[in-house]
Amino acid sequence: MAAFGSFAILLGLVLCAYTFVVGTIALRQIAVHPQASFGPERLAESARRAGIGSFIALSAAAFALIYCAFTNDFSVSYILHHSNRALPWPYKFAALWSGQEGSLLLWAWLLATYGFVLRVRHKVDVKLTAYASTILAAVQVFFTLLIVFPAPPFALTQGAVPADGFGLNPLLQYPEMVIHPPMLYLGYVGFSVPFAFALGALMMRYPGEKWIHITRRWTMVTWLFLTCGIFLGMHWAYAVLGWGGYWGWDPVENASLMPWLTGTAFLHSVMMQEKRGMMKSWNVWLIFTTFMLSILGTLLTRSGLVSSVHAFAASSIGTWFWVFLLIVLSVCLFTYILQRDHLQSEHKLESLVSRESSFLFNNLVLLAACFTILWGTLFPIISEYVEGSKVTVGPPFYNRVAVPIGVFLLLLTGIGPILAWRSTSFKSVQRNFLWPCIAGVVTALVLMAAGMRPWQDVGTLYSLMTFSLAALVMTAVGSEFWRGARVIQRHTGKNMLFSLVQLTRRNTRRYGGHLVHIGVVIVFIGFAGSAFNQSNEQEMGFHDSMTIGPYRLVCQSYTQDSNANYDSEYELLNVYKNGKFLTQMAPERRFYHASQQTETMVANHSTLERDLYVVYEGRNQDTNQPIIKVIINPLVAWIWIGVAVMAFGTLLALVPNMSAEQAARPRKQQAEEEVALTAGAGD
Amino acid sequence: MTILACAALSIGIFIYIFYPQSKTEEQTQKTRLEFLQERKETIYENLRDLNFEYRAGKYPEEDYLAQRASMENEAAQILSEIEFLETSMHAA
Repeated sequence: MAAFGSFAILLGLVLCAYTFVVGTIALRQIAVHPQASFGPERLAESARRAGIGSFIALSAAAFALIYCAFTNDFSVSYILHHSNRALPWPYKFAALWSGQEGSLLLWAWLLATYGFVLRVRHKVDVKLTAYASTILAAVQVFFTLLIVFPAPPFALTQGAVPADGFGLNPLLQYPEMVIHPPMLYLGYVGFSVPFAFALGALMMRYPGEKWIHITRRWTMVTWLFLTCGIFLGMHWAYAVLGWGGYWGWDPVENASLMPWLTGTAFLHSVMMQEKRGMMKSWNVWLIFTTFMLSILGTLLTRSGLVSSVHAFAASSIGTWFWVFLLIVLSVCLFTYILQRDHLQSEHKLESLVSRESSFLFNNLVLLAACFTILWGTLFPIISEYVEGSKVTVGPPFYNRVAVPIGVFLLLLTGIGPILAWRSTSFKSVQRNFLWPCIAGVVTALVLMAAGMRPWQDVGTLYSLMTFSLAALVMTAVGSEFWRGARVIQRHTGKNMLFSLVQLTRRNTRRYGGHLVHIGVVIVFIGFAGSAFNQSNEQEMGFHDSMTIGPYRLVCQSYTQDSNANYDSEYELLNVYKNGKFLTQMAPERRFYHASQQTETMVANHSTLERDLYVVYEGRNQDTNQPIIKVIINPLVAWIWIGVAVMAFGTLLALVPNMSAEQAARPRKQQAEEEVALTAGAGD
Repeated sequence: MTILACAALSIGIFIYIFYPQSKTEEQTQKTRLEFLQERKETIYENLRDLNFEYRAGKYPEEDYLAQRASMENEAAQILSEIEFLETSMHAA
């Protein structure tokens, strides 16, 4: 199977190279001789089909590697180092992305999958898709070259083949690790598609903004994958690493956040181009930057340049990425300089108080956050280059900058949607901002009356600002739904719920977007809870107890267990809240046989109000009694709920508008419905 | 067995790529007229948005009228260019 896998990768490389080279020749011939084009178009068609063929070849290679993992084929070095016989089957599947070579194969395969969808759907715009397909093939060539030369996943084990493998990294033996990396990769890789379309549109001087319509769904799906990937990673860090937090400003976490920030900026500013033909150069560079940040993130993860819990060992692969990044930057710069006259804005910013300027601020703030994170992430490399010693930037640096930026972004989330396009008069501002501002101020006053003291420490101040702004944004977004639904209600006479559903269905993009904003607010509420964390750590033998907040934990027993994969130590704790029995918890520590590594399994009792997070820290060497750490994390559950709302909102925004569906219905029926809904719903 | 699998994969993909096609999709450049039609649709969509938001009570009447006039001017310019191009095409 190893030989078949290697062959499939080689075949994939040949096919990607064919798509790129022949696709370029065909595009050139069509551009030079547009009239005599039957020959070049057949050539272009063969390039498109070769691109589809590369998906089949790389799918076969990915299947071959998974097959090797499931059949315990330790003659393949990668399987030997990332699997073992006792490994449960879902983790054998996860072995595909648990090491450098496998994850690069996954990357190449996902890229081929995106390419497959793009090439199958080429009729949406044959010429633009041909450009995008050729650019995507160039990216495919790079990633396939990586798994042919510096990181071949099917390299054979040297010498005698051991009877069992060295096992999967225990940190990765957690259910979310089966879905978190693919989600993240789907996000990273997915930005290649809008990048290819944007570069292609610029190369061919594509008239108009239809390329944005074509790539909008791609970008949103990619953004959704990246969002889910990041938050699944946060949940994994929270549940597995055992330090009580979900975000540690680790370089690899930062690497995933940077393209997310620029991608989010792109999703917003692209609306200005669609609606008003503005910010064309800005948008093109935003998507170029997003793609390059995806590559930079991968470079940081894989080259060993930065130390991280996620990073792979130092390898020569970094040089490949640097060269590729340099080529991408050169091509983008060259194309931009050559075609920049094509990107003239059709309108200018008319007022500072307008939807356009709120998008612009939103973009600037997101980019400021991205730059801060990039600076902090690269600082150890820069300091080593300048001063000769690696200076690492810790969470306090990021928190000092990112938290106020986040709070300001939250404010913009509330302001943006209620401002008008072009310009907003003072009267309009008064009309739309009155209730949201009242809601924000009342919330702040109520919280202070309830005991919050923002002057005592900066964490409480930011927390209060977040809750207050959350109320402002919720009221602003809620009023958007309310006002819209009332228009529908007036015209149909139906109830409010029906009107709300109708309103959303008639403009899924806008109201899906509002739901995403609600999700963001909920996530921020979850973040704000961290200002009130409490923790305690102590030795807990039989019948010892610990009191923290409203909880009392009593040790019932502590014992050891063993199975084929790992040995474990755990403690059984009875938890009482305000004197009443609440639940039983069992924090655990495992020792994995194959990898000879220890891993913590956190016990967490999660409610909407707070999480009771219990960690088995190990045993005191002198007394042989377990050490238990307990952390109370208020409002954390809201982070995961907020992400679910964000995901739902994005999915809703992907659904076609009802009016588009109606267009496909018989005219008579359509006319009857139009009579009933003459107002339209802003679609 | 491995050689057979490799050969089957290669031959299958080779046939798929080079199987003679009776018809291939034509790569056409978008015309100015098509571009203007798209712009017209966008402006109409913006106008529908504006009307709806006005009905929802988001904007005072003077703001609404000013914005509407500006959009209608934009639409009028595009419509006149569309008309000119269509007339030229028919004449040709």
